[in-house]
Amino acid sequence: MYDLILFLVLLLLGYVFGQRAEKRHFKSIIEREQTLRDILVFSERRIPDEDQLEGILVSGNVVISVDFFKRFVASLRNLVGGRVSSYESLLERARREAILRMKDAARRKGATAVWNLRLENASIYKGAQNAVGAVEVVAYGTAVRQRR
Amino acid sequence: MAEYENPQIPEGINVSPTHPLKDFALLVGGISALILVAVLALSLLAGQLARHVPFEQERALAGSLSRWLPETPAQPAHRERQQYLQQLADRLATAMDLPPEMTLTVHYSASNTVNALATLGGHIVVFQGLIDTLPSENALAMVMAHEIAHIRHRHPIVAMGRGFAVMFALSSLAGIGDGAMQQWLTGVGMLPILSFSRSQEEQADADALQAMLRTYSHVGDAAAFFEHIARQQTTGEPLAIFSTHPGHEERIERIRQFAQSQATQAAPTSVPLPDFMKSE
Repeated sequence: MYDLILFLVLLLLGYVFGQRAEKRHFKSIIEREQTLRDILVFSERRIPDEDQLEGILVSGNVVISVDFFKRFVASLRNLVGGRVSSYESLLERARREAILRMKDAARRKGATAVWNLRLENASIYKGAQNAVGAVEVVAYGTAVRQRR
Repeated sequence: MAEYENPQIPEGINVSPTHPLKDFALLVGGISALILVAVLALSLLAGQLARHVPFEQERALAGSLSRWLPETPAQPAHRERQQYLQQLADRLATAMDLPPEMTLTVHYSASNTVNALATLGGHIVVFQGLIDTLPSENALAMVMAHEIAHIRHRHPIVAMGRGFAVMFALSSLAGIGDGAMQQWLTGVGMLPILSFSRSQEEQADADALQAMLRTYSHVGDAAAFFEHIARQQTTGEPLAIFSTHPGHEERIERIRQFAQSQATQAAPTSVPLPDFMKSE
């Protein structure tokens, strides 16, 4: 019985704090995306007019933890299948945050655009029993600025 | 570079628009219902199969249980009590048309636990604590007939079969998830088993009343034990679905109704318990 109460408390805590963190994070992401809109990002490998530009490798990475509630809902999803919407928003946040951090690095280098964008995902604690998992996203690409 | 641009991407295209709580409620509700149905079906099936285990086999199985049963009492007074209980059980067994291969073994325990129980292989344990609360032999016979009815309907082996089947199924299913899910699965899965033994209790009560009627030709004092428990209980009764025995009030009421329907011309007189049965 105490185990059940503990479980429900963890679930509630996971939900309340997880939802709050997510809401705040999305708000901050949308704001920062507006301020970094002038840095353009492309997945194109060949950089146009590359003889007039110099390239610098820039990267940004982020690790976001799954809350208890999301983890439980996802484990139920595992039984029946379907879209794991609790993880969709998690990965969306991680992807956008990583790109933002990469753009930030590009701005500090004086670049105006990032070409050849690449994204990598990794799950931290993969396979570890009873550990709340976390997801890592790395974004990297070639930032370009006018050759001086 | 004019042909390259970053358009503004609308919000929410990468995330399904369902509310997390709605998703949660649907999943928990749906899967709980599925498990309940599956466990119900499985335990019914296992119970049906267990019923066909020959009584001989059941008794052999119970051989390994014997170390949990009270030993033959050493004191002569206790042995006398056990003999009396065994005779009472045999008398009731005849009245209940117990099949000849079903043999009853009554164990007496001097412990002051207010209880009696029936287990695999026709073993019945009666505690001194129970005997001390009862006003007459009729009251004791009602409790014993109830336990004999459990054995007659093969309830102990059915319960064991159900328990094992459900336990195996749930533990193999819960192996998929983590600790939290395991607990939730087992919690949900045990519900129908509890309520099933409730219906078995009711069946045993009904049989016991018939046996009382045949042995003493009235059912006076049949509710004595439950009335005693009801008096003792000051705290509220647990939720009906979570308890294995029907509520005491409910049982007393049922016995009273049966007594009214069987009303005889003569006022019922109860057979007193022999003096040696009460603890010093």
